[in-house]
Amino acid sequence: MASTEDVRTATPSGSGRKAYVTGGLIGVAALLMLADLYLIFLVAPTDAVLGQVQRIFYFHVPMAILSFLSFFIVFVASIGYLIRRSRKLDSLAHAAAEVGVVFVTLALITGVIWARPVWGVWWTWEPRLTTTLILWLIYVAYLMVRSYAPNRARGAVYAAVVGIIGFVDVPIVYYSVQWWRSIHPSAVVGPLAESGSLHPTMQAVLLFSFLTFLALFVYLLVERMALRNTEDAVRELRFRRFDAPNSQD
Amino acid sequence: MTEQFPPANLAFLAAAFAVTWIVFFVYAFFVSRRRQELEQEVRDLQRAADREDGPGQAEVG
Repeated sequence: MASTEDVRTATPSGSGRKAYVTGGLIGVAALLMLADLYLIFLVAPTDAVLGQVQRIFYFHVPMAILSFLSFFIVFVASIGYLIRRSRKLDSLAHAAAEVGVVFVTLALITGVIWARPVWGVWWTWEPRLTTTLILWLIYVAYLMVRSYAPNRARGAVYAAVVGIIGFVDVPIVYYSVQWWRSIHPSAVVGPLAESGSLHPTMQAVLLFSFLTFLALFVYLLVERMALRNTEDAVRELRFRRFDAPNSQD
Repeated sequence: MTEQFPPANLAFLAAAFAVTWIVFFVYAFFVSRRRQELEQEVRDLQRAADREDGPGQAEVG
């Protein structure tokens, strides 16, 4: 149940400071995105083999990496929640899962759009795509478990379990291109990335793109957590007003 | 006419960027709007609670 402090921070006076933070974050993300579009279309060289469509990569890769980051946050916050039963950790896990689903959905969609001209098919059941689809299904299930649980406390516990077990798929997605025969391009970031596999300018633009999407990710996470806190505050106020007087009998 | 190689496939490029931006804007819009609606509800509930408690009662917020 929300404490008086939680209710206070969710009220308009308490959210005034947060409005500045979220306003600042969206402003930074918008400016970075403009610069990113300039870099992607006017600075990054055109791929000699794939042509212009390769530029999808500057959106697709950061979104995929940030979905991994989201699910890592869900994993850590879920463990923390099961140990400490902290509402803040549950709220963080919930927000990160939802934002992560948005990012992984977009990584799948942009991947499908890239695959059509490059592979000649929209979809193929190759390891990276299949494991990523499984990842998407796991975290959609996570959100459904929360929605359909008999009460919020149980939903939080069930979701935490799904969030911890579901994270196992993240390294499987990443290493799938190495473990199985895959037609997906090899990793360009992380332990599997080979040095020099990417043109230095492409590498710099990819890094900038990642920072841009990171700003957007932080904005969405903060905004979604604020929404969750406000939902809790409304629930608490409704309980005090309508249910608490009756429950004293 | 000469065929460009590699093919430009600009429609696919435009589609990928457009879908990304539409999804982000729609998601951010709905989260923001829902939050504003709920903040209004918090205000209304607090006002109603203050009226019921009468003067001299402590406010939440």
